[in-house]
Amino acid sequence: MVTRALKLAAISAIATMSLFAGQYNQQAEKDRQALIKYFVAKFSDPVKNAARFFPYTPTEELKKNYRPVKDWHEFAKGVYSFAKGPRQQYLELIEMPPYEDDVDDGEELYNSTKGLKECFPKPAEAAVEYPKYDTKKHEVVTLTMAINDCVVKHGGKPWNPYKGKIAKVEAYFAAQARDAGKVINVKIPNAEAEKAYEHGKKYYFSQRGYIDISCANCHVQGAGKRVRRDYLSPLVGQVTHFPVYRLSWEELGTLERRLKGCIKNQGQQPPKPFSEDMRDLIYFLSYMSNGMKVDGPDVRK
Amino acid sequence: MKKTKFLTIAACMALAFGASAVAGDKTDAILKEAMKVDVAKTCDPQKNSVTKLLAVAKKYNPTAVKLGVEFKRLGMTTTQYIQETQKALKAKSKTVTLLDKNGKPTDKKVSVDYAAERACKFAVRALQEYVDAQTTYKLAIPGEGYKY
Repeated sequence: MVTRALKLAAISAIATMSLFAGQYNQQAEKDRQALIKYFVAKFSDPVKNAARFFPYTPTEELKKNYRPVKDWHEFAKGVYSFAKGPRQQYLELIEMPPYEDDVDDGEELYNSTKGLKECFPKPAEAAVEYPKYDTKKHEVVTLTMAINDCVVKHGGKPWNPYKGKIAKVEAYFAAQARDAGKVINVKIPNAEAEKAYEHGKKYYFSQRGYIDISCANCHVQGAGKRVRRDYLSPLVGQVTHFPVYRLSWEELGTLERRLKGCIKNQGQQPPKPFSEDMRDLIYFLSYMSNGMKVDGPDVRK
Repeated sequence: MKKTKFLTIAACMALAFGASAVAGDKTDAILKEAMKVDVAKTCDPQKNSVTKLLAVAKKYNPTAVKLGVEFKRLGMTTTQYIQETQKALKAKSKTVTLLDKNGKPTDKKVSVDYAAERACKFAVRALQEYVDAQTTYKLAIPGEGYKY
């Protein structure tokens, strides 16, 4: 009798949990859809929609330099999705990608570093598994953090979270995921994770620093506009291609490194690589790229 | 024995909760004060002494650091602007040497007035921006406050 009652209770609990499990990402999904709608409206016909989205850009420039983007998956390529000139340069550049040796180095590191194979038995999966909300630790864990935790756990010293070995291992994971056609699929499993997502979102949309601008000023409202000769990339698709080989760095760098630079440009002391601000920001950004194929490592200006 | 243990734990918990509540109250009070500051007037070196400007900076900047919104300009944080200006005052120098990203002195110098003004403005503005952002951030989100 008691056993039956317990079984019934367990089944009811599981049913209730599964009923509500999908609800923690409701707001995130709403945000993602709204952003996709916004960016598609903005870039589907820049000339026709100039008054709405590019009021200060001359029509001639819009006709000459912009290509229409109707499929939001194309935003995985950042500015190369809509900016004709940079896109051409990019296509020429990736004929001989400068990060190829790094991917090989990453594979070697993966095979030779104690513990990595145990922690990440499927490299392609690792690239899309993170960032994830760790329900035991009650915090967001990024890939960079997970790799470093693993290295330390197996007796090694922590790696530089911005470049070098960690970026190379991530490049190997990303390349494996790209070859396997993996798609970004960040999950929000519970109310705490939802809170972390909201925190990351708030960080992204809050004005800050000496210049008093938010990330969104450049990458939502400002996406597609120019800062001198450089175009600003859209928020959707911003994490698909990491780790990235930036021509200005002349080497591979992690997402944490790119964000650090971005926040410094806002005129603020950037958060530490494994701080709550940084991890939640990455969580938010990654959710916004859900449904897009992993496209890393890649090259950016 | 059990009773003593229980009472100790209870006291520790009460202290911890109390301390965090007081810390929260303190932050709120500083934020409220910062919102009332007229940055242009308060941080004007023509109207106020450098020492006064530094006092304002030292009052508000720790909260900016705590909230993760400390400014950084020309490779220097507000904390570094405060420290380097204090050093210059102590050495009776009229200029402040700017530091590089590793905290080492560069060959760039600015006047003490300028550095103190920056420290003061940065410390207060960081908090004012933080408070403003609590409500304005939603206005930038497509699907929420941002209309296009």
